[in-house]
Amino acid sequence: MQRPSSNTPGLTLEQLDQDGAIQEGISELYGSTRADFLRKAVLGGGALIAALSVPPEVKAAAASDVRIFQFGLNFEYLQSSFYTETDRLGTIDAMAPRKAHWARTLGAHERAHVAIIKKVLGPAAGKRPFFNFRGNTETEDRFTRTAVAMEDLTTALLTGLTPKLQDQGLAAAAFSLMTVEARHAAWARHLVGVVPVASAFDEPKSLDRVDRIVAGTRFISTLRPRTTTSGDPRFTG
Amino acid sequence: MLVASVLVVGLFASRSAAPHGPPSAASSPSSKAFRLESIQGVALPEPILPAFVPSTPILLPVSDRPARWALVRVAVPARSEPRSDSHIVATVAKRTPEGTSNIVLVLGRKTDKTGRLWIHVRLPVLPNNLTAWVPRSALGGYGAVRTHLVVDLERLTATLYRNRRQIFRADIGGGQDAWPTPKGHFYIRNKLTGYSSPTYGPLAFGTSARSDVLTDWPAGGYIGIHGTDRPELLPGRVSHGCIRLRNADILRLAQLMPVGTPLTIR
Repeated sequence: MQRPSSNTPGLTLEQLDQDGAIQEGISELYGSTRADFLRKAVLGGGALIAALSVPPEVKAAAASDVRIFQFGLNFEYLQSSFYTETDRLGTIDAMAPRKAHWARTLGAHERAHVAIIKKVLGPAAGKRPFFNFRGNTETEDRFTRTAVAMEDLTTALLTGLTPKLQDQGLAAAAFSLMTVEARHAAWARHLVGVVPVASAFDEPKSLDRVDRIVAGTRFISTLRPRTTTSGDPRFTG
Repeated sequence: MLVASVLVVGLFASRSAAPHGPPSAASSPSSKAFRLESIQGVALPEPILPAFVPSTPILLPVSDRPARWALVRVAVPARSEPRSDSHIVATVAKRTPEGTSNIVLVLGRKTDKTGRLWIHVRLPVLPNNLTAWVPRSALGGYGAVRTHLVVDLERLTATLYRNRRQIFRADIGGGQDAWPTPKGHFYIRNKLTGYSSPTYGPLAFGTSARSDVLTDWPAGGYIGIHGTDRPELLPGRVSHGCIRLRNADILRLAQLMPVGTPLTIR
C-alpha cells in the first residue's frame, strides 16, 4: 500500500500559480496596487484607528491588535467568499457526501468568523474586497487544492500573529480560531489523502510572507468593475 | 499548551521534591499533584476567557443560488462549443459603448479535454438571445444578484422580483410596431446617471438587448430602460424599442435593481 505523501505538489498557494491553475495576470486591468491590498488595508486601517469610534471590545486594545484583526478580517473575507462562491455555483453539489459536508461546514465556519471579527472591529472593519477566484471555485479538483492550501496558510498565519496580540482576551479568542483553522487544515488534508499533520511543529508565517502569498494568487482585486457612468445615453429611446 | 505547562511544572516540582530518590507519590499521574488547580500547593492561573465567541455557523440554504455575472477583462472570441477549435460566433468587447466595463451573464461551465475551463455566457450581441462559450481566463470576478426583471409587452408592465418575490411593478412604454422591443432573455449591464438629455429622464439602465430593426443606430441600437419627459404617453407603445418608465418609477427601480440583473422581455 502506498503511503500518503506529506508534501504533495500543488497543495500550497505558491504552487497553484506554477501549475496553471491560476491563469495569466490581471495587472493590466486592475493595476499594480492589487498585489499589496492586504498590506495597504492594514496600514490604512491603522492610520484611521485614532479617529474612529471603536466598540468596547477593542477600545482598550492596542492599535497593533486592531491592525492584526483587520488583517485577519481580510483573510477571513477571502476564505468565506471562496467557500460561499463554490457552494452557490453548485460545485459542491457534485462532490461525494463526505466531501460536500466538509466544504459546506468550512464555509459556515468562515462566515461565522467574518461576522464576529466585523462585530469586534466595528467601524474599523474594512469592506469585503472584490474577488476573482479565477476558476478555483468551479471544479472540484481546483477547489480542493486551493482549500487545502488556504487552510494550511491560515494556520501558519495565526500561529505567527496570535502571540503578537497584546490583549489577553483577544489572544485567547484568536487561539480558539487558530485551533479550529488547524482542524480545518487537517480535515482537508485527510480528505485529499495526504498526511493531516505534516510535521511535529507548525512553522509560523509572517504577515509579510502571507501577504506575498495571497497577492501571488491574484484572488483579490482592489478595483470593482465600473458599471455606472454619467455619459449621455445613446439607446434607441 | 496548558496541559504542557502543567506537565512541565509538575516535572519541575517532582524533581525538586525528590531529586535522587525513587519516584515520589507526587510524580504519579493519579496523584493530586496533577490536578489542574494546583501542583504541590502552587496555584495555577485560571484560563483566560476569550474576548469574543463566534455565533453558531449556518449552512447556506440549498436554494441560495443567485444569478452570476462576470466582468469581461479582455476582448475575446465567443465560441459555439466549449473548445478552442469551435466556431466563433461573436467577439466580446472589454467595454460597452457607454464606456463602462462590459459584463456577461454566466449560465454554466465546462472543462474541455485539455483541462481548460469554459464559461457559458449570454452575450450582448445580435442576434438577440445568443449564448456562447468563453475561456474562464477572459473573465474577471463574479458578481451575484438575486433580482430578476420581467417586462410584459402585452400588459405594458415591468415587474422586479427578488428571491422570486415581487418587489416592484410599474407601467411602461414599449416599442412602436415599426420599432418593436425585442423579446427574449437579456440582462442589465450598466447604469447611467447625471447626463443632460431630458428625453431619457433622470436615469437609464443599459441592457444586453439590441433593436432588430435599428441596427445602424449610434452605438449599435442597444435597448435601454429609462425615464421620460413624456410621462403622459405611458403606458403605451411609444418608443423606438426602449422601455420607458415614469421618472419616479425609474428612480425607485434604481434603488432596487443592481447591474447584472437578468431581464426577460415577453
